[in-house]
Amino acid sequence: MAEVDKDLLICRCEEVAQGEIEAAIEEGASSLNEIKRRTRAGMGLCQGKTCRRLVERILAEKTGQKPGDIQPSTHRPPVRPVELQALATPGEE
Amino acid sequence: MYPDVVVIGGGIVGCACAYYLSRAGARVLLLEKGAVASGTSKAGQSHVVLWEQPEINMRLGRASRLLYEQLSAELPFDIEYRQTGSLAIVEKAEDWPAFIESVRALQALDLNCSLLSSDELSYLEPNLARDLAGGASFPEDGQVNPLYATLALAEAAKRNRAVIQERTEVIGIERSRCGALTAVITPAGRIATDTVVNAAGVWSPEVGRMVGVEIPVKPRRGHIVVTETLSPDIIHCKIILAAGYMQTLTAGGGVALAANIQQTRSGNLLLGSSREFAGFDWSVSYSVLRDMVARNLRFLPALQNVHAIHSYAGLRPYSPDLVPIIGKVDTVDGFYLACGHEGAGITMGPISGKLISELITGQEPSLPTGELSLSRFEQRRND
Repeated sequence: MAEVDKDLLICRCEEVAQGEIEAAIEEGASSLNEIKRRTRAGMGLCQGKTCRRLVERILAEKTGQKPGDIQPSTHRPPVRPVELQALATPGEE
Repeated sequence: MYPDVVVIGGGIVGCACAYYLSRAGARVLLLEKGAVASGTSKAGQSHVVLWEQPEINMRLGRASRLLYEQLSAELPFDIEYRQTGSLAIVEKAEDWPAFIESVRALQALDLNCSLLSSDELSYLEPNLARDLAGGASFPEDGQVNPLYATLALAEAAKRNRAVIQERTEVIGIERSRCGALTAVITPAGRIATDTVVNAAGVWSPEVGRMVGVEIPVKPRRGHIVVTETLSPDIIHCKIILAAGYMQTLTAGGGVALAANIQQTRSGNLLLGSSREFAGFDWSVSYSVLRDMVARNLRFLPALQNVHAIHSYAGLRPYSPDLVPIIGKVDTVDGFYLACGHEGAGITMGPISGKLISELITGQEPSLPTGELSLSRFEQRRND
């Protein structure tokens, strides 16, 4: 892979570059969650909506897995950012 | 070459055991059924707390805090440890007299802390609600990134020639006819060893049963909400929580809640805390999030329009007296426990690993471990 790719921003929210994700995989990370814990990729405002596919692709390329075989990262509520006062308001379960 | 010690569990406690044991020269193999920092250690907040009751927990906290200062320099990457201090807040005037007594008792144990009136609180933290009864400041408390601390301890152990084997579950422990440990069994094969450390957290009872040892640890679920990143001005002290939060969380049945606001180095707030016995259910409950966020807004109304971006739940390894179980098991030669830390694994991880290393390698323990033994539960049953 060309050297210029190393600085390519993969996770824009947390400003994580391709090189950092590759380094995490070289250190032993083998899932999206493990990459997230090491690099913060996917921890930002969009919670991986933008970078998830890109990180999956890098992981697949580096480890020789098929993109479809990669375990998805954990998604939990809220699906999109929500104001705390709305979250604290009684509503439907 | 077979390992001197097999550590079971790659959370902060197991990784601290692997680090201190390998630093003392032992050949260590750590077995983790998932990935390092994939269980309870990835699902907490950030507080290194020095005032957990009973007194033995305070001693463990204070010892661990000193170790964190050393680890910040020793470990191969930044674990975001910093001495932030913490503020404990009393909501209701009726609870103020008892709180004064509890702070005086902590001062009598030489803990550095001071009472704050309602006005002093407002001056220090202008965003707090104005109708709170008061609080106390604990300037020696700190904050750490639990993910980085766990991963860095594992990496440092590797550099000391420890082997960290992930995705390897222990399915059995073998003993000789006279009862001594001889091997650990995994799906990949048998690993000969005469010393095992059970640092399996909420799964430690399962590992205990492999050698007929009953460990009274139960999973207790706690929720956290993560907010968007905020300016550091939102709270000046990075850890603000309800006074007596652990007592509140332990009282009664159902879901217990206590406000717990922590701002991490990245600027996000981690809002806690909840506790409930829900078996091995790691899922997030909307109704718990709702009530927990309401508790936090009661303390810090300025958060109303702040956005939550994520939430998670973790299982805390609850021990019946809220004191961890650390040390040798009298009935099985070579079997050691470092489990049952409840919400204090991040605080007590380093000292737990150091004590285990000292006990196994025959050094004088950093502090007396009698009160931490498994046999304390047996003695209490007999009393």
